[in-house]
Amino acid sequence: MQTASQRTAGEDLADVERVLRGETAAFEGIVRRWQGPLINMAWRYCRDRGRAEELAQEAFVRAWRGLAQWRREGSFSTWLFALAANVFRSELKRFPTVDLRLDEAPEPAAPATQHSALTRQQSSETVRRAVLALPARYREPVILFYFHEMDVTAAARTMGMPEGTLKARLSRARALLRSRFPHLEDRHAAVELGALGTGKEA
Amino acid sequence: MNRTKTNPIEATNTEIDRILATEQPLVPTSGFLASVMERVREEAAAPAPIPFPWKRALPGMVVAAGILGAGAFEFARHALPPAGELTLAVPQISVVALRPLEQVGWVALALGASLFSWKLSKRLAGRSGLL
Repeated sequence: MQTASQRTAGEDLADVERVLRGETAAFEGIVRRWQGPLINMAWRYCRDRGRAEELAQEAFVRAWRGLAQWRREGSFSTWLFALAANVFRSELKRFPTVDLRLDEAPEPAAPATQHSALTRQQSSETVRRAVLALPARYREPVILFYFHEMDVTAAARTMGMPEGTLKARLSRARALLRSRFPHLEDRHAAVELGALGTGKEA
Repeated sequence: MNRTKTNPIEATNTEIDRILATEQPLVPTSGFLASVMERVREEAAAPAPIPFPWKRALPGMVVAAGILGAGAFEFARHALPPAGELTLAVPQISVVALRPLEQVGWVALALGASLFSWKLSKRLAGRSGLL
């Protein structure tokens, strides 16, 4: 029995072959399947909805142009994500959206002042935006690691770098974020301690 | 997207991890697919980019390389004295001999600049995913 990813891979391969035979309309299947992941990936690079769609569109157009260069030994998704990462990187270098330094990123409110889910949501968004203020070499590993649901192998493949390098950069990025947002770690520790005290899991 | 966690050890379970790992996914706008396909159709309808005319350019490049080589040879022949006549005196280069040397320098500079711009454009195109 075929898994969903095997089925998707089969559909990708079939669509790519049809496009390469000259059926432009077959590219629609590829866009339909990958529009969500590519827009979400672009969103993590710029955190601007409109820009994310523009970047994803540019990535699809480049993918269409370079479809013949996809070597079948790797998965289509790996190739597409690597190409998209290149596009996002170069486009955002040309026209950056955020010009913020990590030490200028606003600090989330202290735990005592966090009453509502909304405040919590806002402070989470502040942390996500702070990722964009990380130095470029640490920023992308963080974006791709969490985009790939904490899969180092997939993130390293997308960036075309060894897993060890990616892990080292991730570790440094986490340290930078922890030093910027010490309150978050304190809160986390407090929640865990509280859970231990009451015998519940954090 | 890969939905499996092949390295769960990497999930260090901190608050920052939790925040970055849990993000509401965006849903593409309704017109996104159509706008991508419109651009793809435009690209498909556009004439193919003109490839670099290697067949035509190659003879010219060979001739240029030949001129450069000949210039370098002439330079070496005029500037350096024969091995038997080596003296401590500074070799004198006549004005007539210097003129072609000056031109060789310009040719070399132009070739160098062309090579650099070709390499740079190739690299930029490669980075942007065109190659």
